[in-house]
Parts: sequence; C-alpha cells; structure tokens
Amino acid sequence: MAANFWTSSHYKQLLDQEDVDVAQPLDREKGITVEDYKLIKMQMSNYISKLAQHVKVRQRVVATAVTYMRRCYTRKSMTEYDPHLVAPTCLYLASKAEESTVQARLLVFYIKKIYSDEKYRYEVKDILEMEMKILEALNYYLVVFHPYRSLVQFLQDAGMNDINMTHLSWGILNDTYKMDLILVHPPHLIALACIYIASVYREKDNTAWFEELRVDMNVVKNISMEILDFYENQRLVSEERINAAFGKLALKT
Amino acid sequence: MAEVDLSKKVADRYLKREVLGEGTYGVVYKAIDTKTGQTVAIKKIRLGKQKEGVNFTALREIKLLKELKSPHIIELIDAFPHKGNLHLVFEFMETDLETVIRNTNIFLSPADIKSYMQMTLKGLAFCHKKWVLHRDMKPNNLLIGSHGQLKLADFGLARIFGSPDRRFTHQVFARWYRAPELLFGAKQYGAGVDVWAAGCIFAELLNRRPFLQGSSDIDQLGKIFAAFGTATPSQWPDLAYLPDYVEYQYVAAPPLRSLFPSASDDALDLLSKMFTYDPKARITAQQALEHRYFSSAPLPTEPNKLPRPATKRASKASDFNPQEGPTVLSPPRKTRRVMPDREGFEGNANRTDKIEEHAGETKNADGEIAGRNEQVPTSVDFSIFAARPPSRPTINSADRSHLKRKLDLEFQHPE
Ligand SMILES: Nc1ncnc2c1ncn2[C@@H]1O[C@H](COP(=O)(O)OP(=O)(O)OP(=O)(O)O)[C@@H](O)[C@H]1O
Ligand SMILES: [Mg+2]
Repeated sequence: MAANFWTSSHYKQLLDQEDVDVAQPLDREKGITVEDYKLIKMQMSNYISKLAQHVKVRQRVVATAVTYMRRCYTRKSMTEYDPHLVAPTCLYLASKAEESTVQARLLVFYIKKIYSDEKYRYEVKDILEMEMKILEALNYYLVVFHPYRSLVQFLQDAGMNDINMTHLSWGILNDTYKMDLILVHPPHLIALACIYIASVYREKDNTAWFEELRVDMNVVKNISMEILDFYENQRLVSEERINAAFGKLALKT
Repeated sequence: MAEVDLSKKVADRYLKREVLGEGTYGVVYKAIDTKTGQTVAIKKIRLGKQKEGVNFTALREIKLLKELKSPHIIELIDAFPHKGNLHLVFEFMETDLETVIRNTNIFLSPADIKSYMQMTLKGLAFCHKKWVLHRDMKPNNLLIGSHGQLKLADFGLARIFGSPDRRFTHQVFARWYRAPELLFGAKQYGAGVDVWAAGCIFAELLNRRPFLQGSSDIDQLGKIFAAFGTATPSQWPDLAYLPDYVEYQYVAAPPLRSLFPSASDDALDLLSKMFTYDPKARITAQQALEHRYFSSAPLPTEPNKLPRPATKRASKASDFNPQEGPTVLSPPRKTRRVMPDREGFEGNANRTDKIEEHAGETKNADGEIAGRNEQVPTSVDFSIFAARPPSRPTINSADRSHLKRKLDLEFQHPE
C-alpha cells in the first residue's frame, strides 16, 4: 500500500517503547511479566504465520495480523483476550482489511489441525465474536504500513537487490514481527535496519549509501541492535520458559 | 432533552429517532448524541447470512474513513457493537445532491453549480492525495449538511490504490457514471475514474438530468461516443489493448456547446478536460480545482447560501413520486451498485485474483501522487517468500555474536 505514512493513523499511533512494554493489571495479578508477554506474543506471531501458510495469504496479511495482535495487547489483557483466540481472529480480520478474505471456517479447520489440545480449539462463532472485540480494541484503526515495500525499494536504490541480499534482509524483516518494532518505529527505518544488518553480515560496504539518506542513522543502528538482541535472546528461550508463561496465563484467579 | 426514553438509548450514549433510510448493508437511523447534543446518523450493519462476521463492505468503509478526515468527507464519529451488530455513527446530513438536482422547485445558478462542483472536487482531491479511489461517485453519495457543505459519503466501494496501475475489478460505479476505460474492462485504472464520474455529476448539475443514461454497458459506451465522438487510438493510445475492447462505428462529436446550452465557456472547457478519453491525459481533481472556471466570475456561492429543499430530508417514498421531476430517475435500485471483490468468499477465485493483483503492480513511473518518505511502491512479487516464512530466526547464533561485535565497533554511543 502506498498512501502517505506521515498523515496516517499508523504514524499517529506509534508508541514509546515503555508503553509497549507493559503487562496489563489483570495479567500481572497472575504473575505474568513483560518478558512473559514478549514470549507469548512471539509464540502467537508464529502461530499466525503457521495458520497463514495453511490458508495461503500474502505476507502483508500476516504482518497486518501480527500488528493487530500486538496493538491489542498494549490495551487489553491476555486473561480477557485469550491469545489463542486473538491470534486467528487477527488473521481473519487482517485478511478482510487487506482485501483477501479467508473464510472463518477454513481457519477453524486448520486450528483444529494444528492443536489437538481442546482448550486451544475455537469455533467460528468464537472468532466472529472476538472480531468485534478486536475491532473495538484497535479503536477501528485498520490501516497498517509495513516495511516490505520500502525494503525492496531501498535495496534497488542501493544496487543491492541481488537475490542474496534480498533474501537475507527480507528474512530478517519477517523476524522483526516476532518483536514489537512495528508498534514503535516508522516502517522505513525498520527496513533500513534490516538492510544494515544484512549488509554488515554480507560484508558489503555501503556506508556511503546510508550516509546519503537523510535519516537518523542512530535510530537505524538502535533498531539494528534491538533486532540483534532479539536473535541473541532467542538462544536462551527454552520450551520450559514458554510453557511457564502460558502456565501462568492459565491460572485461575 | 428532558424526557428521554431510556429504552431507546444505545451504547449509553445515543438516543434513537426515526429511520432515515436503508442501504445495501443496513438501516440508517437518526439519533441524538447525548454526550454532545449533536444529531447523528447511525448505520446499523446487518450481519451477513454466511457467517462472514463484520460485513466486508462496512469494514472497508470503516478502514478508509478512519484515515480520511476532511471537511469534504463524511465524518465517521464513532463505531460500537450493540446486540451483536456493529453500528457506525456518522455526522447527520440533511440531504444529498441527487435530491437537490431532482427537486424542480430549486433553481441552481451557475455560481451554485460551481460551489457544488468545487466541494465535490475538493473531497475527491483529498481522497486521491491519500491514494484512495472512491469508485462510487454519484449525486446520491454526495451528502449535504445543514450549512450547505457537501461531503463525499459511501466509501463501501473505495479502495486504496498502491500504485496507480494496480489491478482492480472494473465492476464499480453505477453505470451512468462509469468511465470508458472501465466499460472496456480495464483492470489497471487510477484516479481518473473518479474524475470522469465527477464530470458526469457536473453535467447533471448543468442539465438537471443524468447525463449519459445507458441501459447496458454497451449502450453506455454508445451514449458516451454519441456525446463526444467515437474514441480513436490517436486520442487514446491504450484503447485497443483494453480487455473488452470492441470497435464502435465511427460517429463524430456534436459541438459540446449543443449539449450544454446553459454552460459558460470556462465550464465547457473544464467539462471537456474531465471527459478526456485517455485516462492518462484526463485532468486530475487537483488540476480541475485550479482550472480558471473556479476563479472566474461568478465566484462559487458560499455553502450556507446554497438553495436546498424546503422540507428537511424529504422521505424516500416521496422521492419516487412520479409527479416530481419525472425526467430524473436513478437507475433501478438493484443494479445501482455492483458488488466488487466477491472473491473473498469463494475460496479459489480468491487466489487467482491475488496473483493478478500482484502481476499488475508495476512501478509508478510518472509519480504524480507520490507520498513523502514512504515512496512509491515497487513491484517485486515476493509471494514465494510469503508462502514459506522462515519459522526459525534467519541468523544462527555463531553469526550473531560475530555480527554484534562488528556493529558494536561501528556504533557511536550517543551519550
Ligand atoms: N450521514 C447521514 N445523514 C443522514 N442520512 C443518511 C446519512 N447516511 C445515510 N443516510 C440515509 O440513509 C440511507 C441509506 O444510506 P446508505 O449509505 O447505507 O445506503 P444508500 O447510499 O442509500 O445505498 P447504497 O448502499 O446502495 O449506496 C441513505 O439513502 C440516506 O437517506
Ligand atoms: Mg449511497
């Protein structure tokens, strides 16, 4: 999508990191921390991608769905908005908003295929009910800008659009949706951070190209560091840590 | 608001009044916003039969109206669920341009027409600047407020156009307002389709009857050619490449003046530019606003001095009274809106359409409506990636520490 990012609701809604790194009161009562939030949101981003693979939607639909899910939890608790229902519902809503509707019953079919566990298996009516609640949680703002187009364009402009660089930076960009970057930074800066990492990794020197851009490179480098920190932390994330987070969420208060 | 019937209060805020009308996807009520005292129009979105959740068309309208805030675009004030239905709250509008045009008691001076056209084009130029195509421009969708302000409404067919030549369905617009490229089946079209429709509205304001009343798509093209002469490849180079192109018998254009006896020379000049066949050569909404028609005498009437129907919002029933303005009729209601994008509910068709849409994305070479930093989109089909998103992080851990060291070295800490 083109349109103008700087006049969009997306731009106006960008949050400070500290407003993203919050656990809602109801969840905190169960001992759920910001770290648990991050893990659960990451798991749910993966879940959305997995479902999306089954129902075959474009990457931009996945990206929008993940953004909806992440926005939702800056305002709503996981206790009241079960992540395992929110995730598929966000995909459902995003598919409509991005003009490539997926039927709810198709989603339900694949949810059941992915989960054998009864408590994660939701029905069409649950998704439709949650859809209305998500819309409200999003305050009905549905347009989301993503870094993909900027990424492709920047690569082209820098003459780095070979399959190698494209593949790597695109992959890194996909990974950024496992974090909250899209809620905090303008998309084109996220794209630049991905290119920055990819070019350092591939030992391509394009300092000159970066310097010519009129962007704050400190911000780009900060985002790059955040992404690298994320990769670093990935190593430490064990199955138990994730299960523990979901375990707390399952507690009855 | 002393004696309020609380049973009619919805969402603890709105006091329901009479029904205003019914659209394709729900009933519209008049209501009072008890929080502000403002009169509003509430559209109750009917739930689809096929368990499709929030109506697709309604969702599209919400999505776009939340981004489009302008004095010439209907304001979406609020949205809320109530008893399982989604309700959209709009600013209340007293009447619409169709009602004004067909009301034979209203005299529209050249300055009045200019004013309505200026407001229409302002709304349209705003949409196009934001990369939104309205795709359903017609007098009935131009609502008029209590101070005479005209606003674009009914964004259920509107779409964001990523690049001006992205592929869309051509089944948009009520037929009489459809641009020739749409009638020839173009899937890559741009803001020009709205400008053509605005031209038809201009013509309708001048002549007080719908301008080109085709009874089928073929007949519509026939009517267009009868008015402006058969389109030729010399005027419109892409013509012969359009999907549904068929050759029409050549007819010469009558003088434009003969079609619009009451119009000024400036008005005729602008009209002819809005009715330019080649969409690439057609005037844009913004250029139209800068046309001398709007700066020459008579100046546009101030909105609050515009003539309006005596009775506030004549009920729809009386609108169909044949005694009243018999020359002006809308196309039969059922055919007025052709629903686009049904693919969404039909599994497979969905896929082909998407591929088509992707294939149609090409770089915007003329860049006429480029945004600021978010640059004009490019066209690389990444669906191969989309099909297999890497489920594991892309960089392995050995790479990571190596990379991080490199970045650390280069990174100047700002403190
Ligand atoms: N903001 C408003 N203020 C006052 N009346 C309105 C408003 N919006 C809609 N209406 C009334 O409600 C009716 C239904 O509106 P709606 O936009 O749903 O459908 P429509 O334009 O009549 O038909 P369609 O859906 O085919 O375009 C309109 O014809 C109009 O009379
Ligand atoms: Mg309408």
